Amino acid sequence: MLKAVLNVPSAEPKDIRWFYNQYASMLLGYINGIVQDHQKSEEHLVTILSSFVKEVILQEKSKLNIWMELRQYTQGKLKLFTAKEHHLKSTGTTNKGNLDLLDDLQRKVFCAVYYHGKSISYLAETMHNNETEIRNQLKLAIDKMRRASGN
Amino acid sequence: MEINKIIESGLMETYVMGIATEEEIQKVLSLKKDYPEFRDALEQLEFDMEVLAQNMAIQPPPGTLAKIEQEINEIQRQNQAIQPAKAYRYDDSEGQKTSQERYIEVEAESNQMRINKAWKWVFVAVFVLGKIFLATAIYFYLENRQAQEQIKELKIELKEKTR
Repeated sequence: MLKAVLNVPSAEPKDIRWFYNQYASMLLGYINGIVQDHQKSEEHLVTILSSFVKEVILQEKSKLNIWMELRQYTQGKLKLFTAKEHHLKSTGTTNKGNLDLLDDLQRKVFCAVYYHGKSISYLAETMHNNETEIRNQLKLAIDKMRRASGN
Repeated sequence: MEINKIIESGLMETYVMGIATEEEIQKVLSLKKDYPEFRDALEQLEFDMEVLAQNMAIQPPPGTLAKIEQEINEIQRQNQAIQPAKAYRYDDSEGQKTSQERYIEVEAESNQMRINKAWKWVFVAVFVLGKIFLATAIYFYLENRQAQEQIKELKIELKEKTR
């Protein structure tokens, strides 16, 4: 009996491997910053990376810088965590990178924006500060971390 | 001079962090197009954000890549199962050529067979008759055994009388 099946080429393993080598560790660090649980972060990494490769990379839909897009995609997928009030916990498994260089306000602003996608206006309201100050603190935090990385 | 002010305003940072408003996004895209120095600064910031993420990276455990490849294949298999019906519907207007490109023919073996619904009553009748035959056989077997026992008893009685 003859049967018709969809002739869709399977994902190139090389592309996936390249993408994995490039972004998996960065993404795991990022997810861990949001979820604050190493075991759950690894589970989310598999799900998010797989669906991102399938929906964005293989479909060639990416218009933004790929890391920027992957971060925003992850925030969208982890809405359950990002919707909550953000408190940065210092866990042993979290790689905080240059976060230790920031003062308390800068770290709060950076983490709320970077990990939880909170807007400037939201932070200004919850931190009882004005938007210009929050924007400045965010820029200062990023500048400080960029300088520490040698840029 | 003006563009340097904009670069230092923090606009690029809100854009790169993904929290810019629609108005700010349009402004960034327009500046990126019109001012090469703004575009360079933005690209440098995007690159530096990747470096920051690399500094905060955590190495995934071994076997994660295999899990991801397996998951992607699973998603593709599911999509392949859903898409053929849709694809045929949409390709009707474009002619047979499109469907030939999108589909390949493969030999498939089925374990199922098709029969007429009327056979259902035949199977029911065979089943009922089978039950009746079974009940009758059991009945006659028991009857036969009882008769055999009675014959035995009669033979014993007859022997005793002849003595």
